[in-house]
Amino acid sequence: MSHSPGRKQENHKISRELFVLTYGALVAQLCKDYEKDEDVNTCLDRMGYSIGIRLIDDFLAHSAVKKCRSYSETADMIAQIAFKMYLGVTPSVSCRSAAGNEFSLILDKNPLVEFVEELPAERASLCYCNLLCGVIRGALEMVHLAAEVTFLQDRLKGDAVTEIGITFLRKPEDRKHKRN
Amino acid sequence: SRQCGLLSPQNYPLYIRSVPTENELKFHYTVHTSLDVVDEKISAMGKALVDQRELYLGLLYPTEDYKVYGYVTNSKVKFVMVVDSSNTALRDNEIRSMFRKLHNSYTDIMCNPFYNPGDRIHSRAFDNMVNSMMMQVC
Repeated sequence: MSHSPGRKQENHKISRELFVLTYGALVAQLCKDYEKDEDVNTCLDRMGYSIGIRLIDDFLAHSAVKKCRSYSETADMIAQIAFKMYLGVTPSVSCRSAAGNEFSLILDKNPLVEFVEELPAERASLCYCNLLCGVIRGALEMVHLAAEVTFLQDRLKGDAVTEIGITFLRKPEDRKHKRN
Repeated sequence: SRQCGLLSPQNYPLYIRSVPTENELKFHYTVHTSLDVVDEKISAMGKALVDQRELYLGLLYPTEDYKVYGYVTNSKVKFVMVVDSSNTALRDNEIRSMFRKLHNSYTDIMCNPFYNPGDRIHSRAFDNMVNSMMMQVC
């Protein structure tokens, strides 16, 4: 018999503004440190990757989801559960290829860019939210799914919508033994 | 005609909008002369024992042609609005709410990570807000 209660879900919420401002400060600082937009984008992606490989365990622990059996399920999981859990928004998912390994997440609202009206003129190729791509890529890698994740469209750059493209690179191994 | 301006804590302009635009130079002059009144009111506030930090400074001074209203944030950014004296329909609480809108939009500008405090304000959202506000004051 266990006397200790199960691990309590301690919901210590931090201010959303603080998070958005912190992210903004991060991007602004990277822009000061690197001259080229590509370097800033790469840096953001690397940071995101570093977050993603750690975040996946938190996600799996808190969401108690079943194993995904297809790329489509995985994409749905990212959009409907992960994005909802961490950013409070639910992008819509669509499949972009007949082969079933390319997906688009369309973000209607993006809390990270709440205070950014538009990119500064000298930063036209900056992918402001590139951190998110790295996070998704890192998280997927830890569950043995290799993927390329990039921004296909970005409202900050003048596109109509913000669209993240996920391309799964390898077929998942056939699972002979399903976990309970 | 009506004008609206934002001044930094060091009293240089962050944003000026005049409708119609020909009056802009005169507006600069008006704002400049009203700064003395603003500073006077701010120091008066400091001496009086007020619990509530009143940001709205009210009518700074009236002249024959126009009325000047002021507002100062806790960070010492000043907002100044000039309206025609002939515009008697404008009530005090309407002016207050306009200053509040200005203040809220200014806060959004400050939250933009690419905006450096002290820069001139170049923001479409801010322009739109000021335009719609000035149209109302007809």
